[in-house]
Amino acid sequence: MDWVINLVLIALLIATAVSAILARDLLAAVIIFSCYSMIMALMWQRLQAPDLAFTEAAVGAGVTTVFFVITIFKTRRKEER
Amino acid sequence: MKKFFSLLFIAALAILLLYVVSNMPGMGEEDVPTRQNVIPRYLENAEEETGTENVITGVILNYRGYDTMGEVTVIFTGLAAVIAIIGRERRGKNYAYTDLSEIASSVIVRIAIIFLAPLILLFSFYTILHGDVSPGGGFQGGAIIGASLIIFTTIFGLWESTSRIPQKLRFPLEGAALLSFFSVGAIGIIGGGNFLTYTLPRLTTSLQPAVRTWLTLLVEIGIGVGGAMVFISILFALLREEGGVVGY
Repeated sequence: MDWVINLVLIALLIATAVSAILARDLLAAVIIFSCYSMIMALMWQRLQAPDLAFTEAAVGAGVTTVFFVITIFKTRRKEER
Repeated sequence: MKKFFSLLFIAALAILLLYVVSNMPGMGEEDVPTRQNVIPRYLENAEEETGTENVITGVILNYRGYDTMGEVTVIFTGLAAVIAIIGRERRGKNYAYTDLSEIASSVIVRIAIIFLAPLILLFSFYTILHGDVSPGGGFQGGAIIGASLIIFTTIFGLWESTSRIPQKLRFPLEGAALLSFFSVGAIGIIGGGNFLTYTLPRLTTSLQPAVRTWLTLLVEIGIGVGGAMVFISILFALLREEGGVVGY
């Protein structure tokens, strides 16, 4: 049962990482990146590092996402081809 | 042709890296070097030597205190860079989108934030003060304080939150992390000891464990408050918009 959860988490991690890079809409990329951080926090918890999970969830998924979103609204949302 | 060479280079690099990774010792195996020297030492002596029940806090603040001090310096430098490029917000002249928007934010969201923000703040204080016993600590708590202020600011706007946390309050507190770290470290030097030993010299040895715990807590609070103020200051600097009239 353990390895199923690990496999699902790693698959989701790789999927979010790839789609965050491929997304043309920068706002979508930021939100996907926030999901990536959240899954990473779960991974840290599964690796028995609750302190790191804490930091990842608070800083990676929370604070930096907001900073990125504000920055996108200050600049332009779509990536130029 | 250029693409082909790039792909070839990436493939070669990937093979090399995967080969190196395959030779690395597996995670959590018995014969890993760190598991024979460093980890047993930390696990056996941490509570006694650092005065914190949570071994990780002991490692971060005591054994690897220099690392953490460097990280705190990096965060402070990050704030300095943001302020140097974007500039601080000016109360009365700068507003956030929420202040300038013609559409008022939803009542449900406002009430939810009014109830949620104090609870998140309370949780962050718990995380900071309880960091030497349970997971968490100064930096995590500081980030959660920042998060609670972020949801408050996104709904109620820059005008409301700068009246709660004015620049005059944030300005001296932004350096709290560095200041507490260096002053606690310097206390060790003054008595002729080493930097960051968390001990007061010329004190009976029976009192030293309590002093160690309290000094660790002081550094923890310093990191929490300093980190929170850095996050909030960066948020306000990013959010600010020139001009406009409040209260549509």
